[in-house]
Amino acid sequence: MRARVIGEADVLRLVDLLRQDRQVIAPFCGRGRDSYFDVVTDVNRDRIRLHVPNPLYPPKRYVLPHIERLMRMRRSAAGLWNFQPDYAETPLALFGVRSCDVAGVRHLDRFYLGREYVDAYYERRRRNLFVVNMVCTDPEVDIDDNCFCVCADTGPAARDAFDLQLMDLGGGEYLAVAGTAAGEDLFSAPFFRPATAAHVERRRAILTEVRGRFRSTTSWFAATVRYISRGDVLDKTWEEIGNRCLECGACTFVCPACTCFTVSDRRTGKEEYERVRMWDSCALKGFTRMAGGFNPRRAVHDRRNRRFFRKLAHYFIQRELSMACVGCGRCAAVCHGDVGMPSVVEMIRRATAIAAPPLDESSTVPSAKVTA
Amino acid sequence: MSSTENIYLPKVVQLDRVVDEIHEVRTFVWHFEDPADQAAFKKFRPGQFAQVSIFGAGEFPASLPPSPTENEMFFTIRTVGGCTAALHRLQPGDRFAVRGPYGNGFPMDDYAGKNLVFVAGGIGLIPLRSCIVYALAHRERYERIQIYYGAKTPRELMYLPNLRAWEQAAGIECQLTVDRASDGWTGNVGVVGSLFKRPGVHVPVENTVAFVCGPPVMFRFVIRDLLDMGFREDQIMSTLERYMKCGVGKCGHCCIGVAYVCVDGPVFTYEQIKKLGEDI
Ligand SMILES: Cc1cc2nc3c(=O)[nH]c(=O)nc-3n(C[C@H](O)[C@H](O)[C@H](O)COP(=O)(O)OP(=O)(O)OC[C@H]3O[C@@H](n4cnc5c(N)ncnc54)[C@H](O)[C@@H]3O)c2cc1C
Ligand code: SF4
Ligand code: SF4
Ligand code: FES
Repeated sequence: MRARVIGEADVLRLVDLLRQDRQVIAPFCGRGRDSYFDVVTDVNRDRIRLHVPNPLYPPKRYVLPHIERLMRMRRSAAGLWNFQPDYAETPLALFGVRSCDVAGVRHLDRFYLGREYVDAYYERRRRNLFVVNMVCTDPEVDIDDNCFCVCADTGPAARDAFDLQLMDLGGGEYLAVAGTAAGEDLFSAPFFRPATAAHVERRRAILTEVRGRFRSTTSWFAATVRYISRGDVLDKTWEEIGNRCLECGACTFVCPACTCFTVSDRRTGKEEYERVRMWDSCALKGFTRMAGGFNPRRAVHDRRNRRFFRKLAHYFIQRELSMACVGCGRCAAVCHGDVGMPSVVEMIRRATAIAAPPLDESSTVPSAKVTA
Repeated sequence: MSSTENIYLPKVVQLDRVVDEIHEVRTFVWHFEDPADQAAFKKFRPGQFAQVSIFGAGEFPASLPPSPTENEMFFTIRTVGGCTAALHRLQPGDRFAVRGPYGNGFPMDDYAGKNLVFVAGGIGLIPLRSCIVYALAHRERYERIQIYYGAKTPRELMYLPNLRAWEQAAGIECQLTVDRASDGWTGNVGVVGSLFKRPGVHVPVENTVAFVCGPPVMFRFVIRDLLDMGFREDQIMSTLERYMKCGVGKCGHCCIGVAYVCVDGPVFTYEQIKKLGEDI
């Protein structure tokens, strides 16, 4: 393992090191359990928090802003129209991102950069991004009842998609693991000390301890993936889930793995327009409405069904080699109707286990554990 | 890392000509400002579509009714809302923008040696026109070619010069029908399916691909007719229309069942359409 050890005071040195050539985004705490990501400045740098309650607003917006200008469309004096794409090229570091959110970025990578078309806007942001993952180890602060990364197989320690990973070993020591060459380059800074076998052993022991502190269990997720993929879920169950959804869209907006957007043009001057894209939500009624008013997805439960089907169907997991739910638990935290991912997984598992034929363990549908 | 091409950037085109088709539907003939763009675009397949940008109005998906074997590029568009109405307001010489082609299209080359049966209703002929012209340009590759097309009234028949030519041409069977006769119509009166029962009409089932496009009601009836005749569900092809924002599998709007209609479609077999599990 390409690992080093740093002291508590060196964490800020690391932040400053990153700030030399990029903007750094880190977690902060507001009042109570309120927490958020913000740009690190000379003024707030002392208040960066490595152990924080899960910020409801994921860091996804730094790779996929909720509103972003794609291009300007202008007509020149000579009467010619032209399109000017608007790319964000600022080097950025996400510092202290929890593992589920790292997996969220990895999922977005798969989705926006994989398959036949590459999203040039996402690509540029991602290329300029440095990710420092912070392993969740504090059961009082980092982990709450909604967390189910162990179930989605994304945490509490990310396995990839980070440049550097930090883990609190206790006693004022942090283990730093490099995930990329860029991460390893940082080790030339004088405050990185060699890691010993004892440090690595402590890491292992802590992870084993922490895994036991999660409320959720692994098997439920895998079973639900299979039920959904096989089409076993009863209409009645989807309806029950749909009936509890208030169509606020919150679950999709806090989700680090949701990808949908809409596009709109607006006037910015005489013969000058801009095309912007913004996050959209399949929970909202207008999402699939077509010109003329025909909407193929009419009932609320059709729309709810959509979100969970898209996230959990085996077909899509294979398609992206990554699941569109990383187990962050945010949808559960914000949903008024208690139909966040963990409760839906449970509702489906309970209702279907009685009605459906038993799951054949040797079936070709793999468990939720899909890593690339 | 090298920068990839920006899939969302359209290319500017010029409107050459506008042809009135039927009520609220016009054909817009256009060409790319840059001949290199035109040449690249011309490699499209029948059944694919493009994203059309109208300055100040927005972007929308439109089928490509021309065949790649033809010289001119055009869209045939019904005015229904903001973007389509804005296109209808353009004059020859005006500019708009296009990106594409997108979608899977019909695998016309896989159908070599087969009978082709085209069944269309109303503006459903728009996406099928491309296949028909393509098939006729490569007439020797296919066995029988049949066209069954219906509209509400004689005035609602699309691509009239094409229809007349197809009716006259040797080596294709083309039958038209209208729901209500007027304007001295002497042809068949009745829904599209009624054509199958006309004397002398025989639709081969063996070794045949059926293309069906039209309004939902027509679609359901024709599918029933074809299945009754003995067609298998995977012999019947159609295109799906969904609200689309990007055309390239990213925005999520067109996603139904396990398919992103813009990249996995818009062409599907009826067997696939049934499995996708939403309304047509
Ligand atoms: C694959 C495919 C092929 C099609 N082929 C054809 C065809 O050949 N001929 C045809 O007539 N129709 C075709 N359609 C239908 C056509 O796309 C719709 O009729 C069209 O999108 C309606 O757009 P509108 O703006 O006129 O309608 P509206 O109801 O006003 O808007 C519908 C949509 O248009 C777009 N739009 C409107 N305003 C803006 C804005 N300000 N910024 C950005 N976007 C905006 C948005 O997508 C909007 O949601 C096809 C559809 C699909 C999916
Ligand atoms: S947060 Fe809950 S109520 Fe709101 S859209 Fe999502 S499922 Fe529905
Ligand atoms: S679906 Fe819910 S739990 Fe899963 S990643 Fe999205 S917000 Fe987190
Ligand atoms: S139109 Fe955007 S995903 Fe299909």
